[in-house]
Amino acid sequence: MISEEKVLKLDNLFKSFGSKVVLDGISIDLNKGENLVILGKSGSGKSVLVKCIVKLIEPDEGTISVLGTDLAEANNKELNALRIRIGFLFQGGALYDSMTVRENLEFPLARHHRKLDQNELDSKIDEALDNVGLKDAADKLPSELSGGMRKRIGLARTLILNPEIMLYDEPTTGLDPVTGNEISELILEMQKKYQTSSIIITHDMSCARLTSNRIAMIRDGKIYKSGTFDELKSLEDSWVKSFFV
Amino acid sequence: MIAKINRSVKQVVLVKSETSVSNLQKVFLLFADWWLFLIRFFKELFHMPFEFNEFIRQGFQIGNKSLGLVTITGFIMGLVLTIQSKPTLSDFGAESWLPGMVAISLVREIGPVITALICAGKIGSGIGAELGSMRVTEQIDAMEVSGTHPFRFLVVTRMLATSILIPILVFYSDLVGLFGSYVGVNIDGDVSLQLFLLQATGALEFSDLIPATIKSIFFGLVIGLAGCYKGYNANKGTESVGIAANEAVVAASLLVFVVDVIAVQVTNILV
Repeated sequence: MISEEKVLKLDNLFKSFGSKVVLDGISIDLNKGENLVILGKSGSGKSVLVKCIVKLIEPDEGTISVLGTDLAEANNKELNALRIRIGFLFQGGALYDSMTVRENLEFPLARHHRKLDQNELDSKIDEALDNVGLKDAADKLPSELSGGMRKRIGLARTLILNPEIMLYDEPTTGLDPVTGNEISELILEMQKKYQTSSIIITHDMSCARLTSNRIAMIRDGKIYKSGTFDELKSLEDSWVKSFFV
Repeated sequence: MIAKINRSVKQVVLVKSETSVSNLQKVFLLFADWWLFLIRFFKELFHMPFEFNEFIRQGFQIGNKSLGLVTITGFIMGLVLTIQSKPTLSDFGAESWLPGMVAISLVREIGPVITALICAGKIGSGIGAELGSMRVTEQIDAMEVSGTHPFRFLVVTRMLATSILIPILVFYSDLVGLFGSYVGVNIDGDVSLQLFLLQATGALEFSDLIPATIKSIFFGLVIGLAGCYKGYNANKGTESVGIAANEAVVAASLLVFVVDVIAVQVTNILV
């Protein structure tokens, strides 16, 4: 259920690397419970945009307000507290390769819930793995997993902290269409189960169609067009059309 | 406060890297960045909870896995030093001073420096490559966005482990070196182990051990610092892993010599 409450507000964001302008005054909001897909060509600044939201990259100008907190004003402690409420699924899963799947999930959980004993940790981990259909992979190392499995485990590790906002950085890139669709469906399933609000960065139209409530298209560092999948698909703009071919 | 300074230095480094700056300015900016990294280590070291399990794991990796290399180099150090020095001392009729001379050389200088250089290569490059690879594959970013303090988990544990384990490896290397020297003495001689040890330890004073141990702690600290700094700040891209490992070894070896020069001066003043 999408509400009018804004959980994320990006206002007039600018970011450049050297002479290359990546974000050129982007403003966008995310409503509670909404799945917002950011579409754009490779290198258009989509990943930079989501990394600004968790302050992995600092914008040159503009304000970011996450769950009512202005990121620029937040000190380290406040920033970390805020980051726990935001989940981030990296493009390659970013699993800790020296740890097993179970240890990967235990790592954030044990550090943020120090009062939980080992049995409680194990049951939460089993539940998270069950949610992504990989309960049997608990004792495997990331190097033993396929690309799709890595993304599922990455998703489980992120969701285990029950974030209010999820940021997906190209969740289906590098996967075959069938596995890609499975991940997209999993995103929807998790949204329903945990009532998260999400930003999904992608250039996979199948993923955008399945997961989006709204789509914003980035071109030359600006929001070029936004609307629902069907609204954008019906536009006559040739650049927009090139995505829907 | 430190975070603010850190951010300002990073911004200055970024701005300066985009404009033309003198090499001298770059050196100062780099020095400031290293310095802030070191200060952050000491600051985070006393932040609870301490990552004890990871510290033990790193201690095992650093200590146990370097043992073979340190044993071989330590033995050869003692053996070669003895074989090279023996003819000269024989010319002066001072062959009986050989164990003492070797012991002093090993304990005061050669043991700590050679062991530290070996560890700079093995441990420094290992840490640089591991953290560099974690940076490139976004594992460090993943820790950061989940609010799990990657600096505390990855850097503090490794730097502390090197600072504690290197002095132990140096002490072990000194003992193996003395054994190598004993073998060297007996290649064409007949000296009992008891007599050898008596002569070797007789030449040593307790004050020889203290500066060498303190120096070794700093060797460990700078080896950990170089590996962690280069790996943690690696750029994106697979080639950065190799660059981080390589630069970590170069920086660690250089810092070992810098620490050695300072340690010798301080020891001369104090002792």
